[in-house]
Amino acid sequence: MNLGTRKLLDRSFTALGFGSIVIMGLALLVVLTPIVTKGVGAFVFQGTIEHRKLLLNEFHRGDAREIEKEAAETNRSRQKVFDMLATFDQELDKMDYEQQSKYRDSYGQVKTALRALFGPLPGDSEPALTRFQYGQTRWNKAEEKLHDLLYEQKWDYSNPDVIAKPYDVSRAGAFTGTSLAGLFPYVEENLDKMMMPEWTFYWGFFTEKSLDAHFFGGIWPEIQGTIFLAVGAMVFAFPLGVIAAIYFTEYARDGFLTSMLRSANSTLAGVPSIVFGLFGLAFFINTIHVSHSKSVLAGSLTLAIMILPTIIRAAEEAILSVPKTYKEASLSLGSTKWNTIMTVILPAALPGILTGGVISLGRAAGETAPIIFTAAVSVGAAIGLGDVLGSPTPALSWNIYNLASEHEAAAEIRHVQYGMVLSLVMIVLLLNLSAIILRARISKKLKG
Amino acid sequence: MRKLGTVLTSVAIMAMTTVGNVGAAGKGIVIDGSTTVGPISKSFAALFMKKYKVPVTVSESGSGNGAKSLINGSCDIADMSRSMKPQEIAAAKSKGVNPVQNVVALDGIAVVVHPSNPVRALTEAQIAGIYSGRITNWRQAGGPNFPIVVIQRESNSGTQETFRELVMKGKQVARTAETQASNGAVKNRVSQTRGAIGFLGFGYVDASVKKVAVNGVVPSVTSVKNRTYPLSRPLFMYTNGRPSGMVAKFVDLPKTPEGKRIINELGFVPKY
Repeated sequence: MNLGTRKLLDRSFTALGFGSIVIMGLALLVVLTPIVTKGVGAFVFQGTIEHRKLLLNEFHRGDAREIEKEAAETNRSRQKVFDMLATFDQELDKMDYEQQSKYRDSYGQVKTALRALFGPLPGDSEPALTRFQYGQTRWNKAEEKLHDLLYEQKWDYSNPDVIAKPYDVSRAGAFTGTSLAGLFPYVEENLDKMMMPEWTFYWGFFTEKSLDAHFFGGIWPEIQGTIFLAVGAMVFAFPLGVIAAIYFTEYARDGFLTSMLRSANSTLAGVPSIVFGLFGLAFFINTIHVSHSKSVLAGSLTLAIMILPTIIRAAEEAILSVPKTYKEASLSLGSTKWNTIMTVILPAALPGILTGGVISLGRAAGETAPIIFTAAVSVGAAIGLGDVLGSPTPALSWNIYNLASEHEAAAEIRHVQYGMVLSLVMIVLLLNLSAIILRARISKKLKG
Repeated sequence: MRKLGTVLTSVAIMAMTTVGNVGAAGKGIVIDGSTTVGPISKSFAALFMKKYKVPVTVSESGSGNGAKSLINGSCDIADMSRSMKPQEIAAAKSKGVNPVQNVVALDGIAVVVHPSNPVRALTEAQIAGIYSGRITNWRQAGGPNFPIVVIQRESNSGTQETFRELVMKGKQVARTAETQASNGAVKNRVSQTRGAIGFLGFGYVDASVKKVAVNGVVPSVTSVKNRTYPLSRPLFMYTNGRPSGMVAKFVDLPKTPEGKRIINELGFVPKY
């Protein structure tokens, strides 16, 4: 091969490497951008007066006098709407039955749309569910609901032989000639006066409990549950994993048993996580009854088994990468084997061991399948440290799934789901980042 | 680095002793089971935690799993959208669990299609035909020429079992039917698929899907209450033995005015 070809090959390989890194970066960007932009919307948004009322009533947060003043102001604008409803009620009373029934359905829909915007109307009994006690807390949602008030989506079923197409009908049209006709343009023009949107940074999203099945409030129980589960898994898996790694590298003699143990460990690393979940249910809960129901303890143990192989391997690699001369020097000075391991080998291997540990911690925080049957619930309060042995907990990974598919009003609270995704990604990223920093600091110290 | 060793050993010992500390009973109420009953349970839980400060946790894993949890003693209340099967009761008895049925509310199984579908009504026979695979195009059921996408629930679902009992009457669901794991997932799929048909508990029906009348009866609170809607059923909370204490208070919530209002607001039908 002549020099020219070699250079060309070298350059093209560099280009290839550079290209793949760029593609990887782009892929990361494509994944992370929507997670961040949508997730941020969960706690930075234009909050309406309803949001401030909610915070004041349910969490005792905010300046009560200021909010009351604002509420009074919005109520003045809203009162006109309520007056129009009252006038129309009187008008309805005077109509004969046939005329009444012409309006009944659409009037009911208008009222429903107004309730969605402003909360219960005057004369309604106080709703039992928090979700119906307040109007729209977010301005973008309020604008959606305004559209529902102004237009009715209908489907063109005139031809029964084809799939219908949707079209919007102005609701005002149905009420022309009545006193209600003025309501629609009034609400459209004055919605901001009735809702008072303000840019809000709702940090309570991370620190407060959820209200009414995640409709309002924050996701603290989920964040806390995730942390408990991940840390719990580490408490069990890390010491066991490091001890196993020391045994494999320093004590085990090559033989049938050791190779069996090693391959068992590798197999364990490849088992799908749902299998661990079912195993956790069958073994920890149904067989040895570590707790009477699902619990953080059972979930942590299950996660611990799942991450154990990774920790063992990382620790093994780290121990093996310690130069042989360290060990020989220590032994030649008369140190015992145990003393050598504790004072020479483990400290030198510590950066690698810790990195493996923290990365496993991140994995434990993000896994869903192992905790479905062993620890996670869709609704529950934040539990205290004393309850981890017997109580199940909500956890981010599982609740994201629950909100994405099972929740009865999933479409109404997408922002909560996005906020949870962002929180989980941030937790895992922070853990990995801290692993990198930890590793760098310890290696510097060891060299220093 | 002797410290490290001490720390490691003590952590390991701590870990071992915690494992040894078995049988820690939870103080709160643990609820598992049906996704249909889920919204009621979750709202009751919120009310209960506010009123009595007793922690309540709710999992929605399906009626079948709820029954299993109760049999294994790993939940206090099993939400179910069907009644327990004789095998389940036998399994419970053999483990010393005595399942007691408590009715929470009444519910209808709404048959839903995509809103663009002009079909307004189906007979039970037609629905059975669609699910058994005999009818594969909406044209055969009085609709447009469009293939039907059949959505069913997983075998663990009480809604699925009730549907099979009331509509299929022993016939098998076609193998082409697509399975979704929860009411919410069925709603999602039907609202995004033009030829789809699925079935949901009332609490999950909203404007994104269209209910069809069954045997000429429109599914509604009234038609479930007066038993004219053919696909009605009660929803249950099973407990181990006659409930007592806080669990009794919880399963009696549907009888209180507040509980009734919650059931109404969620779109279900109060029983009491």
